[in-house]
Amino acid sequence: MELYVLFGTFAVLLLIGTPVAFCLGVSSFATIVYLGLPPVVVFQRLNSGISVFALMAIPFFIYAGELMVRGDIARRLVALAGAAVGHLRGGLGQVNIAASVLFGGISGSAAADASAIGGLMIPQMEERGYGKDYAVNITVVSSIIALMLPPSHNLIIYSISAGGRISIADLFTAGIVPGLILALSLMVVAWMVAKKRGYETERFPGGRAVLGLLINATPGLILVAIIFGGVRSGIFTASESSCIAVVYAIGVTVLAYRTLNWTAFVSATLGAVRTASMVLLVIGCAACFAWLLAYLRVPAQLAEAMKDISNNPIVILLVLNLVLLLLGTFMDMSPLIVITTPIFLPVATAYGVDPVHFGIILILNLGIGLCTPPVGAVLFVGCAVGQLSVGQAIRTIWPFYLAAVATLLLVTYIPALSLWLPSLFH
Amino acid sequence: MQPVILKISAVLGIVSRLSLWCSGVGLVLMTVFIAWQVFGRFVLNDTPTWTETSSVLLMGWFIILGAAVGIREGNHLSFDVLLYVLGDRAKRVLFTISDIVVIAFACGMVGYGVQLARNAWATTIPNLGFSGGLVFISLIFGGVLMVSFSAERLLRRLAGLPTARFGENNDGVD
Repeated sequence: MELYVLFGTFAVLLLIGTPVAFCLGVSSFATIVYLGLPPVVVFQRLNSGISVFALMAIPFFIYAGELMVRGDIARRLVALAGAAVGHLRGGLGQVNIAASVLFGGISGSAAADASAIGGLMIPQMEERGYGKDYAVNITVVSSIIALMLPPSHNLIIYSISAGGRISIADLFTAGIVPGLILALSLMVVAWMVAKKRGYETERFPGGRAVLGLLINATPGLILVAIIFGGVRSGIFTASESSCIAVVYAIGVTVLAYRTLNWTAFVSATLGAVRTASMVLLVIGCAACFAWLLAYLRVPAQLAEAMKDISNNPIVILLVLNLVLLLLGTFMDMSPLIVITTPIFLPVATAYGVDPVHFGIILILNLGIGLCTPPVGAVLFVGCAVGQLSVGQAIRTIWPFYLAAVATLLLVTYIPALSLWLPSLFH
Repeated sequence: MQPVILKISAVLGIVSRLSLWCSGVGLVLMTVFIAWQVFGRFVLNDTPTWTETSSVLLMGWFIILGAAVGIREGNHLSFDVLLYVLGDRAKRVLFTISDIVVIAFACGMVGYGVQLARNAWATTIPNLGFSGGLVFISLIFGGVLMVSFSAERLLRRLAGLPTARFGENNDGVD
């Protein structure tokens, strides 16, 4: 019965459009009252849920991303990608994907990637005779790459939702190979679609030009080394390295590039506050919800119930993937990470899945959900930037979905793709 | 009725703007503190002890203030699928219920926040020396703001004025 109160209240409030954070808080409150526990627990948990030092990495990474978008770092990375891969079949499509790899390596936000890279690439692609749908499709799906490559603040949300026991350094390292596989499979699809439609390629500007653009983009790229190197080597905590990312982004855009003025700085700061406080409130309210789930033994019961479906981890992972894909089409990423991790992670580990591996599956899976209707924040951003209706965009997007789902299956069933690279550091 | 509500809205607009700026200053201060912590450890060989605790305290404030502003600006993440298919009148009813739910929870933040602050008042935060009750003041303050901003939404809807919708602005939600 307690479970009906918890999930029933949550579902009803969610359906009528109450903000997710409050759905979590109020349903927890109702359940605690029903259980006869003191309601003050809800607010105590909320407060302790947002007073965690590790959580600080999330606002800092969001802040660093905002600064980089407004400070012209993205444009330099696009120029570099253009010179390096523009001569391949599918020309600017390939450039778009390569730029997502470079930008994703420093920002970690799919929506920021879609708006920054899309804003630069979609008009350029249209001008060169590429279909608008092709440009939007590539922009949207390739932005998932940003979620996989370090620094991905979503992996930090996952680590915190899992109780903070999973190493962020391992998660960051584990996402690299799957992220690159996704990039490669999207490039293959971009190549095939371009061939079918007969799109032009760009002229290769020569090694010297590529080198010049590389030097120009280097200050941005050094950031990857600072963040990843710092966290991996254990010199900095994730929170500290994310703070250094903010300081460095301000330094590069103000001193080296001279692209960030006071107005842009203020709008980056306020933009980061808006996004981060919303995400963090959800995490705080989910702390109580997750505590109740454990108190009511939901994960253990679910793991038991799953045994009735199958004893085979392959089948269980498939079921979890299908459920996550379905949820992902309807809801945004950060609330889904905080709600599903405490429920599904114990199930997955009961079947011998490594928590780091499961994190990568979860993020890739929910990333695909960001690109699918009816609720797909990144799809909406891409369509808004490209001024294309969602209906028109998704009519031709299926080859790219296919590539993303194929990558998801590979990542799900070959644990080594996620776990090999981190194992080298142990 | 409309002119009175517009006046209230104007005042709350200033309050909201101020809260957002305080939140932004909080984020900048957090950056400065943690950067100082790293600088202290590597360059001065003397890790400051107050930076981590005070940044966590600041983060609590910045989240609650930012989230309260989010109510007024309609930034919060929500599930809109059902709302897409409903007519305007049904939507208005559901929005009103949502706002009342938010008010109820925010009242809880204020009421139980006072209780928590009172209980913790005699304790001190390690490394800072402030009262432990300070941690919960943000909860009370944020709760008051959330109640005011949600009540403003109800009043505006009653008077037929537009309100920012939850989920309308999805920038950077991933």
